[in-house]
Amino acid sequence: MRESSKVIGYTLLAFGMLSLILSIFYEHVIMAFIGLGLTFWGALLLFIRSEEYVKEKLLNSTMLPTLTDINQVFAELGYQGKGIYLPPKYFKNTGTSKVYITQNKNTDLLTPEEIQQHENKLFIKNPEAALITPPGYSLSKLFEKTLGKSFAKTDLEYLQQKLPKIFIEDLEIAENLEIQIGPSKAAEKVADSVSLIHLKYDIVHVKITGSIYKDLCKEARKLSHVCGTIGCPICSAIACAIAEASGNPVTIEKTECTEDGKVMEAHYRILED
Amino acid sequence: MNFPLSFWDISLWLAVTAIILLITSELTSPYYGKTNLLINKKRLKNVALTIGVLFLITVVIRIYEITTSP
Repeated sequence: MRESSKVIGYTLLAFGMLSLILSIFYEHVIMAFIGLGLTFWGALLLFIRSEEYVKEKLLNSTMLPTLTDINQVFAELGYQGKGIYLPPKYFKNTGTSKVYITQNKNTDLLTPEEIQQHENKLFIKNPEAALITPPGYSLSKLFEKTLGKSFAKTDLEYLQQKLPKIFIEDLEIAENLEIQIGPSKAAEKVADSVSLIHLKYDIVHVKITGSIYKDLCKEARKLSHVCGTIGCPICSAIACAIAEASGNPVTIEKTECTEDGKVMEAHYRILED
Repeated sequence: MNFPLSFWDISLWLAVTAIILLITSELTSPYYGKTNLLINKKRLKNVALTIGVLFLITVVIRIYEITTSP
């Protein structure tokens, strides 16, 4: 496909140039128009040639075994805690993003200083926990590279504005992406009785339509320790971005997916330090 | 041996090309869900806008000529 368009592009360009030269030689207007057109479309074909595309099926086949392994490791180790996406302040190397998963459900999150001591370890003792690189880490770095700005230097409003453009136009990951940021119901109740000024936005709702990861997400839903803990690569990438932009730890509260996988919804909670 | 097209011929050609490219660029935009066309849509959009701007420059030159001619 790429080779044939290259050949067509060069052929059009050659004929166009020839036609332009002949039009100058014979001073022929129509030949000049034809030459101009062929040269332009030839150059355009070479310029807008397709980028490297891979089939969706390949994406799923490559990613799924890794996710299955992660699921099996946590299932065998008996990890029940929710994955907590940590912001850069928890690490000495600020470019790092990791998920903190505790063995027990009700174990508290360690302080940034305590996490920094175990930054390069996979498993932590007292309390029993794991510190793994999230499946969507590279994807979130790709978002940053496309934006030309680190999420750590932005805020949630910026994310709400820019992420849809990255998903739809720049990387063509999905047909549509909506992000809603709001306070949790508990925070709303407190705010009603105290003051609206202190209302904290801690719930982020993301709706993705027509994602290229839809099949992978459907498969990942069967892996309870992945989908319910750290999320599929796309949910994980968004969680990394939210953690960096908010500067607070983030958990994936709930993920939903329609039967055909066309619409995916994820609810994130921004935790207090 | 002269180039047979005048400035206004080029302007007309730019106008036609810009319209074709701008319409194509809009129709293939990912915002309409047409993501199955394997071309670099961002580059197509940039080319369409550039050609459109070039045409507008020729229009500005034309207007300037009309207003300054005695």
